[in-house]
Parts: sequence; C-alpha cells; structure tokens
Amino acid sequence: MTTVTLHDLRKEFDDVVAVNGIDLEIVDGEFLVIVGPSGCGKSTTLRLLAGLEDATGGEIVMDGRDVTAVEPKDRNVAMVFQNYALYPHMTGRRNITFGMKSSGDFTDEAIDRRVGEAAETLDIADLLDRKPQAMSGGERQRVALGRAIVRDPDAFLMDEPLSNLDAKLRIQMRAELAQLHTSLGTTTVYVTHDQTEAMTLGERVVVMNDGRIMQVDEPQTLYDFPANRFVAEFIGDPAMNMLPVDIENGTAVHDAFAIPLPNADGGLRNGANGDGDVPIRDGRRAVLGVRPEDLYLATERPDASGETLAATVDVTEPLGDSLLLHCSIGESPCKIQAKPRSDIRPGDTVSIAYDPARLHCFDPESGDAFYHSESDASSESVAAAADQGR
Amino acid sequence: MVEVLQYAKRRVDALRGDHEARRIHEDDLGTHFQLLILVVAVVFPIAVALAVSTKQTGVITGVGDLLPGSYAVENYREVLVDYRFGRFMWNSLAMSVVIVVGKLAISVFAAMAIVYYRVPYKDLVFLFILFTLLLPVPVRFIPLFQLMNDLGWSNTILAITVPYLASATTVFILRQHFLSIPTSIVETAKLDGVGPLKFMLFVLLPMSKGVLVGVSIIMFVYAWNQYLWPLIIIDSEANQVAQVGLQLLQGDVQGGQLSWSLVMAGSTLTLLPPLLLMIVFRKPLLETFSIQQK
Repeated sequence: MTTVTLHDLRKEFDDVVAVNGIDLEIVDGEFLVIVGPSGCGKSTTLRLLAGLEDATGGEIVMDGRDVTAVEPKDRNVAMVFQNYALYPHMTGRRNITFGMKSSGDFTDEAIDRRVGEAAETLDIADLLDRKPQAMSGGERQRVALGRAIVRDPDAFLMDEPLSNLDAKLRIQMRAELAQLHTSLGTTTVYVTHDQTEAMTLGERVVVMNDGRIMQVDEPQTLYDFPANRFVAEFIGDPAMNMLPVDIENGTAVHDAFAIPLPNADGGLRNGANGDGDVPIRDGRRAVLGVRPEDLYLATERPDASGETLAATVDVTEPLGDSLLLHCSIGESPCKIQAKPRSDIRPGDTVSIAYDPARLHCFDPESGDAFYHSESDASSESVAAAADQGR
Repeated sequence: MVEVLQYAKRRVDALRGDHEARRIHEDDLGTHFQLLILVVAVVFPIAVALAVSTKQTGVITGVGDLLPGSYAVENYREVLVDYRFGRFMWNSLAMSVVIVVGKLAISVFAAMAIVYYRVPYKDLVFLFILFTLLLPVPVRFIPLFQLMNDLGWSNTILAITVPYLASATTVFILRQHFLSIPTSIVETAKLDGVGPLKFMLFVLLPMSKGVLVGVSIIMFVYAWNQYLWPLIIIDSEANQVAQVGLQLLQGDVQGGQLSWSLVMAGSTLTLLPPLLLMIVFRKPLLETFSIQQK
C-alpha cells in the first residue's frame, strides 16, 4: 500500500530529454496507466520509479520517503517486463522463489506458502515444475506475474506486459490483470502504447508525449474532454477528425460548412484549461474536433434536426460492426463511422449530421482545448448542483 | 533465403514424387563429393601417421607402405614406457587445464565488469584488451623470458601457464554473449536484490553454459598445441610437454636412426585428448560458433 509522488522528475540521456519535468501523484491502491506513443518517455518514467535509471532532476517520494537515490532492491517494487524476463534455465517455481531467497526476508515455509497462494491465484500450479521453454507466452507472463506478487511489493510496475501476446490472449490477460488488481489492491503503474489497454485497465490514465504529461484523468473524461489536440487524436480509434475553422458569432465556419457551437456565448469550458472559462472571441482561428462516431449519415437519423454537411466519399472500409468512410469535407479529410451494410461507394456525395453535444475546439498553435460543447459533468455539473443547493 | 526456398521446394517435389526429385540426388551427390574431398584432405595425413606408427622403420617409399604394419603394440609401448611419453602428456594436460580454467575465470570476471558495471572509460578499456591481440605471446618472448627468470619461475608449470591466462579473444566472445542476454533479466535480478556473485553463479554462468564449453574446447586445443614457449622456458625433461616431447622421440638423428614410426606413434597419442574433447562436446562447440547444420 503506497502513495507515490513525482516532483518535477527529469531524465536526460546525453542530449536527449526523455522525461521533461513531470509531476504526478499515484494514489494508494490505484491502477494507473501511462500511455503514449513510442519515445514519449513512459517506459523511462517507469524505470525511474523502479530505480533502474537515475533521475537527472526532481524527486520520487514513496509514502513520504524520498527514494530518488535508493537502490532498486530497497524500494520494494516488483516489475513485470514485456519479454517476461524469466530465467530460462530455472523452473517456474525456481523463477518465482529465486529473488525471494536472495533477499533473505522469507523463511522456507513462508516461501512455500506464498508460492502456493500465488499459484492458486494465477492458476499456474502445473507450470511450477516446467521451464520457460516449455510454456506458452501467456503461461510465461503468468509465471512472471507470480514472481511479482509473491514478494508482496508496495507497488507493481508493468512495462507493456501484454505486448508479446496474441490479440485474443491479450484481451483475456487484460481481464485477468484487472481482476488481480481488484483482489490484491496493490498500487499498480502500467505502461502501454495501446490506448485500448489504457482505457480498459486504468482507473486513471496518464497520457504522455515528448517527455511531458499531456493529461491525467479517468478514461471516460480523457475521451470526452481531451485537454488538448494530442490527447484528442491519441485516444480513440479511429482518431478524432480535425477540421480548421474560424469562429464567428459562436459559429464554427469552414470553407464548406458553418456549425453553430452550443453555449458558445456563455462560456466555453473545460475548467481545467486556462482558456476554458473565457468566452470565445469572434474571428479566432480554431481546429474543430469531432469523433468519427459522432458523425452520421443524415439518412440514418431522419428525425435529427440541425445542420448537415456535404462530404465526398473517398474510400469505404467495412469493419463488420460499422462502415468507416474516408471522406472529404471541402478540402479537409474526415472519417465517419456509419452503420454497416449501406451501399455507399467511393465518389458518392453524402449528407452528414453530427451530434451537437460532442464538439471540441482546439487552439491551432498551442493545441490546447478551449471549448467542449458539453460541459464536464464530473467537474461542473457537480459544482453547479452545489451552487444551487446553497 | 533463396536457398531455403529452393530447398523447401525441392523437398515438396520429392514428396510429390516429381521427376524433379531426381535432381535432389544429383545435387546431394555433388555436395557429398565435395565433402568427401575435404574430409580426405584433412584425414589423409592423420591416416598416414596412423599407418606409419604401426611400422618398424616408418620409411614410406610407395603406396603399399601405407598399409598398417604389425609393430603397433611394440611402438606404442616403446613410446610410453621407454621414452616415458606419458609424463609429457600429463604435463601437457596439467598445463592445458590450468590455462583453460584460469582463462575462463579471468575472462568471465572481465566480461562481466565490461558489460554490467559502470566503469569509467569502459569502452577504452575493452579496446585496450582487444589491442593485446596485436601482441601474441611469441612477440613477447624475450621480455617474458627475462621476467620468468627474475621471478624464478622458469622450468615450472607457472612459466608455461601464467603468461597465457589473460585472453582477449575469450573476453570478447563472452562479452558478446553477455550482451545478448536480455537486459530485463539482469534488471529483474537487480530488483530482486540478487548480489553480483550470486547473479554470476546462478544466472550468468548457467545461461552461458554452451559458450563456456565451446570456448573451453578452443582454448584447450590452443594450450595443448603450445610448442615454442615450453621449448624455450622448460629445460628439464621431467617438466616438458608432449608437443616438445615429440622431438625427443626422433632418437639419434645424427646417427641416421630417425625413427619416424615412434614419432608418429607419439603424434597419434598427442592427437587423442583434443580429439576426444571435440567429439564429446561437438554440440556446444558448433552452437558457440554458430555453425548450424542446414
């Protein structure tokens, strides 16, 4: 049970800045996922937590103890690696107990009991006498997890533990990991480049890019209220459409359309952004963000009122559960997730409706979000309710 | 890649029983013929030595002389008993084992330090170690001879082993192997608080078994075949090694009694220990040097 706090943590490799001053608080018992593209510094951050890298600056505090310069073995953390890192010449049991025996903190009976418990939890009893060579990828990863949990560490650090598994097994192990965390309740920091994994596993998700934290929030908040363009485009698949517009009279004006922004005059907000509470100035350049699933063919919802946009279909991709249309709206490319089994062909012109509650605007230079058409329920509705109650 | 594809194609054709299949035999015959020539080229001198070691005089004047003679037992007995060749073999074995063990110990520590420890100017140190390859032992004979005499080691086993204990080649091979061990395994050990010595004994060495055996064989053969340095630094017959001892089997050359059959019997005996090792450990040896069977 551990709270971990990072203060202005930095790591430089020669002239490359891998982690560029991050502040983060990891709550006791939390499942925190760090996600980002490769080279964003997420693995380095995890290795700094483990003590496998020395920080260039800043500090790491675990339960009030500054561990920035503490040896890895004295931090009481367990790490699970992408390639499992099992000793190939040892059996499953020996792999699990080797580290425990080295630390000398456990008696033989305690080791036996803990291995038994871990084997039961992870269902690996029959793997204990096998060598890694005779195990499948999923089995190896289970044994590696077993090695991590027997030591009852203060925190689990997982570095893309599912990346080497095939897609089906990955989904299964994902659920098992979530279950394991629920039953153990140990603080877990999980690094992945897969945004689906991040969204499904994380109680909170940290999105990183270029060594900086872009946003820390619960998965749904990240998805609904991205703090900036990077998060908006990174989270969600297919990625959010980005259309250059001008703001005029509370309307987003594009070469090919003009969409009124609901509540645009009141205050465009995601309170988290400095710009959020300021009414949108007219004549401002902006990037309008709409997710492909928030756009539909007007024919699909004849009852929906509001503007429609004209788009030319360039490519169609049937995904089974939906039909992904690559379109052009004016000069801008745009993806639309339409209902499956429609007979739309490339070259067709379609009329598109949108969900007015799901519009986002970003600053074209800084990329910061300054408008979400629906206010953040978790922060603002609560605040509003509190105001009314007063 | 192309070869593999062609091979796969040929295999499939062979299974189908295509007329193409006949070509497999032709190709294989060619390969086997080449191999046969190479084997004969390598084995011929050894076969001659073996044949001569069974003759009375060992003088060959024609092909007929290459047939085995009937003096084998007599010759080998004379070499081992009268010339006490067993003594030389024993000295050679002691020298080789000490060199191999010493080399491995020093090289494992050196490679481990180079790969896993943060040593200032580590790469430069490694480069310097490689640089010593440019100065093989024979180049250092004169100062080495002086040094051994000053230390009072001449004519002892120390003189023929210690100068060979450090090996740049072994350090290099082990370094490459250690680098191929995933860093995550090393880091897991670090997180588990496994100490360096325990890490070496229980993780590094077991994971390097194949390479260690392979390198040991090469080093053993190299040590076993030392000739010039023992010839120079050892001057008593009791401490001499087999390769130099062969010369003593020549007998009274001045008297015109160069007994080739005894020399060849000695050579055959000298050949045996490395040959046995090679046969027993051929698998790790091939793995070490990545000579894979196709």
